[in-house]
Amino acid sequence: MRVKIILTLVILSGLILAWNLHTIFFKVPDEANQGAIFRIIYFHVPAAITSFTGFYIGMFSGVGYLMKKDLRLDSVAASINEVSLAFASITLVTGSIWGRIIWGIWWTWDPRLTSYFVCLLIYFGYFMLRRAIDDPNTRARLSAVLSIFACVDIVLVWKSIEWFRTQHPGPVLEIRGGGGMAPGMEAPLWWNLLALLMLSAALILIRTRQEAMKREIDAMRRYAHAF
Amino acid sequence: MTFLRRTLAVAAKDLRSEIRSKEAVNASISFALVILLLFSFAFDLEPEQIRDIAGGLLWLVFAFAGTLILNRSFARELVNDCLDALLASPVTGAELFFGKCLANYVLIMIVECISLPVFAIFYDVRLPHLAMLFLVMLLGTWGITVIGTMFSAMTVNLRLRELMLPTLIYPMLIPALVGAIELSHVLINNGALAENFIWFRILVAFNVIFTILALALVEIVLVG
Amino acid sequence: MSSENFTFMFYGFTAAWLIIMIYVISIALREKKLRQELDRVRRMVEEDEQAKKASSPSRER
Repeated sequence: MRVKIILTLVILSGLILAWNLHTIFFKVPDEANQGAIFRIIYFHVPAAITSFTGFYIGMFSGVGYLMKKDLRLDSVAASINEVSLAFASITLVTGSIWGRIIWGIWWTWDPRLTSYFVCLLIYFGYFMLRRAIDDPNTRARLSAVLSIFACVDIVLVWKSIEWFRTQHPGPVLEIRGGGGMAPGMEAPLWWNLLALLMLSAALILIRTRQEAMKREIDAMRRYAHAF
Repeated sequence: MTFLRRTLAVAAKDLRSEIRSKEAVNASISFALVILLLFSFAFDLEPEQIRDIAGGLLWLVFAFAGTLILNRSFARELVNDCLDALLASPVTGAELFFGKCLANYVLIMIVECISLPVFAIFYDVRLPHLAMLFLVMLLGTWGITVIGTMFSAMTVNLRLRELMLPTLIYPMLIPALVGAIELSHVLINNGALAENFIWFRILVAFNVIFTILALALVEIVLVG
Repeated sequence: MSSENFTFMFYGFTAAWLIIMIYVISIALREKKLRQELDRVRRMVEEDEQAKKASSPSRER
């Protein structure tokens, strides 16, 4: 059943992404100010929204563990955070490439990129913490607390860097190229978002199952050593 | 009242232990001086340029030196199972945490009060609004202390404790550090404080939010 | 400008897909390692139990 769900999600998201690629390259016109590079938005923004949503759902899953002490919720939290980290990396890399064309430099300390970089660092720390703890319950407990701190902090980091940049202006990546996007140009963005959300759901399901396998291995090792 | 009494008892214990040994404070002050020395090689600037980056330099020194004190905070209790004894005592996790926070706060403020005049002398930086600057130091240091003590509690039993603590706390501290840096910059450069009031709000908001969060979650971290 | 524009657009798309592919491959490799480990530990537990069953009748005597 699980395998069927994963396959369905992967196939559907693959189809939507493929169809969207066709739309993006052949139907959507170049943006007036930015040219062809503007199309990167169709990966950059959905990846950003997917990862951001994932981090917050991961936090709630961690809170769920703290309330119910069910290690499956910790597995879900770790899986979601890992997949979100991958999508956060995509956000940063595509944002950097976009900045290279718009501003001629690879990195701009733009508030969004900087905040995402901080988010990445915090969650690298999250996974370093998880690797450093052997006991599953301690690992789950401390990871949950760290993700709560991280999610509360991210909002403050975002706002403080934004205000810092209003006082020390630098290059800023404009998503909408001054104005709004024309209606025809926005649709592929939301379809890509749906596709990436489905893909991340499939990856999360696979990772959660791997975490369950790890727990089974640990349990059998303990059983073998106990008797 | 019991909360306050127990908190102050924990704080007094930590301060007494540190005053007798002076290990962490000495190391922290030495480290702060070394960083100030290294900055002099890294940045060979005119006085006006130094004043421009003074706020940032100062808070980098405070943040790096403060980590040495924060690392010791819970690690000192590992010897002879003192941490287990403390957790088994009537002192709650929140009281233990807040007491250690207060002790760390005092120690980091001592390091800062010694580093600040040294910084001013080394880099020929005038400090016109000393009282306001001290207020900024009080606010900024509390943010560093709360996050640092909380993560010190989290990492106390880990193998790579000294490595993990800086890795975890510096990204978290960015709002507090940016706020403190901006305010220090404005005060050192005689800027308009009224226009930069947003940074006071960020500092206060950071301190309040994370103090409450830490007090609420520290029992889970220490005990389970 | 416009050819550089197109080139970097392709770099961007390639980078995004590359990161996804690398992540999926790392998950697949982890799955293989976990399955091997799981089979190994299961065999170890079964052998242990068989060894205990074989030795327990002699203990009763």
